[in-house]
Amino acid sequence: MEIRQIAPFLYEIPRGARPGMRVPARFYADEALAAAARADRSLEQLINTATLPGVVGHVLAMPDMHQGYGFPIGGVVATEPPEGVVSPGGVGYDINCGVRLLTGRVTAREILPHLDALASALYAACPSGVGRGGEVRLSAAELDRAMVEGARWAVRRGFGTAEDLEHTEEGGCLEGADPGAVSDRARARGRDQMGTLGAGNHFIEIDRVERIEDEAVARRFGLFADQVVVQIHCGSRGLGHQVCTDSVNRLQKAARDWGYRLPDRELVCAPLESPEGRAYLAAMKAAANYAFANRQVLAHRIRGSFERVLAPEGLPRELFPLYDIAHNIAKMERHEIEGRARTLCVHRKGATRAFGPGYPEIPRAFREVGQPVLVPGSMGTSSWVLVGTAEAMRQTFGSSCHGAGRRLSRHQAKRAVQGAGLRRELEEGGIRVRAGSLAGLAEEAPSAYKDVDRVVDIVHGAGIARRVARLVPLAVIKG
Amino acid sequence: MPPDASPGPPAFEEVDHTADRAIVARGASLQELFENAARGMNAILGFRPDPGAAPEARRIALEAVDAEGLLVSWLSELAFLAETESLGFERFGFERFSPTALAATAFGRKAAAMEKLIKAVTYHDLAIRREGGIYTARIVFDV
Repeated sequence: MEIRQIAPFLYEIPRGARPGMRVPARFYADEALAAAARADRSLEQLINTATLPGVVGHVLAMPDMHQGYGFPIGGVVATEPPEGVVSPGGVGYDINCGVRLLTGRVTAREILPHLDALASALYAACPSGVGRGGEVRLSAAELDRAMVEGARWAVRRGFGTAEDLEHTEEGGCLEGADPGAVSDRARARGRDQMGTLGAGNHFIEIDRVERIEDEAVARRFGLFADQVVVQIHCGSRGLGHQVCTDSVNRLQKAARDWGYRLPDRELVCAPLESPEGRAYLAAMKAAANYAFANRQVLAHRIRGSFERVLAPEGLPRELFPLYDIAHNIAKMERHEIEGRARTLCVHRKGATRAFGPGYPEIPRAFREVGQPVLVPGSMGTSSWVLVGTAEAMRQTFGSSCHGAGRRLSRHQAKRAVQGAGLRRELEEGGIRVRAGSLAGLAEEAPSAYKDVDRVVDIVHGAGIARRVARLVPLAVIKG
Repeated sequence: MPPDASPGPPAFEEVDHTADRAIVARGASLQELFENAARGMNAILGFRPDPGAAPEARRIALEAVDAEGLLVSWLSELAFLAETESLGFERFGFERFSPTALAATAFGRKAAAMEKLIKAVTYHDLAIRREGGIYTARIVFDV
């Protein structure tokens, strides 16, 4: 396969590399990560996305890319109506899986004596793991409202503040969601999962700001050294999974009827302006709104836990919203291609929006500097707060990386790592662990992931996001 | 090829997939492949039946554009019942079976424990092959 390096940290596979490619494929990597990408099927999958009808510019993969199904994880693909398509596989099963970061006023030094109590309080207040439903059981009508209004519904129910909405991508609500496009199966899966974390790689983490890399932006984001912050990583739970399953199944026949010859059945798609495409988008938005509401309810529970544990100690217990971003989503956005602003459907599957300064989509407080980009690392390592750049608008449809990216399969990780040993190791490192399943813990071992610092070095070096602050964990809550 | 058949290839086995979990399932017939795939998925779920629970049965009727689509729908149905009712199934009575439609009763129990939920059964690289009289499929689960 012909791969050429076209800039520091940027590689390109030209359009002619394989028949059927409509645009070139580009990926961000250093030499070692480029070699790793060649070792699995992520590049082949990236090339597959370059064959989708109506794809424009170039398809992209972020440095945390790894093999998924259909699209690679870390993929960014933009399509343009009318011939452009939307592909449920370009969003993934966990629709609007994303990250929310809450910033405290309390410092790590102040919190340390109370960390065990805080970790236990969070574990009790935020249902996680297999088979644990939430305390927010929704009637059919309320589930509909949550799907239409997203985090706005949650705030109206008393789970948060208007400031939370301002600091959430899309204000926590994608317009155009239609609960009528969501199946009974999806509703059944979602009805008692509001306000739950789930299992897999989802987590809540109490972190310490270990160091600030950009003082001016950090000040604007309300970040300071030794500050306590909290990350929430989860998505739309069973409801979103079912919306994707239903759509992928429905489109198997439709894609044949349109005569699409797709190299992978997970790439099924429909023209954005077809009834099937519109139905998927309406259902996807409903699931995305459910996810925004879910993280909002969890944020409220976390605030309650901080209040209960820290207030009696006379410590600051407030948690302010920094930002909430989606990393599995498709959205209509305006981007410039060849000097002309065009409306595109940008699929981000394991990639975050990273808009630079000046865009109205960014909260007013950050508009001058660019949007916060949240990059959770693997458990027990580090995470990053970055800031979006003008360069990202030029290179990546305003996108950047979303995490560390898997290196070992879950099966390999379980073979290589003992859950109990890992828990001991993390706790010896001073990290409190509250986990429902030791096997689940082993699957998410740090050794199963790439080095997030390296991934961040690449996006920083390529200019598609800039380093602001490095976070290290104090406590991890997992299903 | 029942699950305990030996020697020869196993009825199902877990194989590596970077992001998710995958199995290879086999069967002497397409119907047996479906049964063994369901058992393989139970292994991914970490399903352990509650010995004290009453037996349960659920009727399942499905149609799809082809055999692969039917296999995805079949496993998706069982994964749905695992998530919403905490049910696992180990025995299946097929009243009707073709590559594009099935009607069956699944017999099982509530779980004493389940380690995992299946987010989705994917079509990724899914192709049912027949070699030497054995049907084989590799199925990737998003977990």
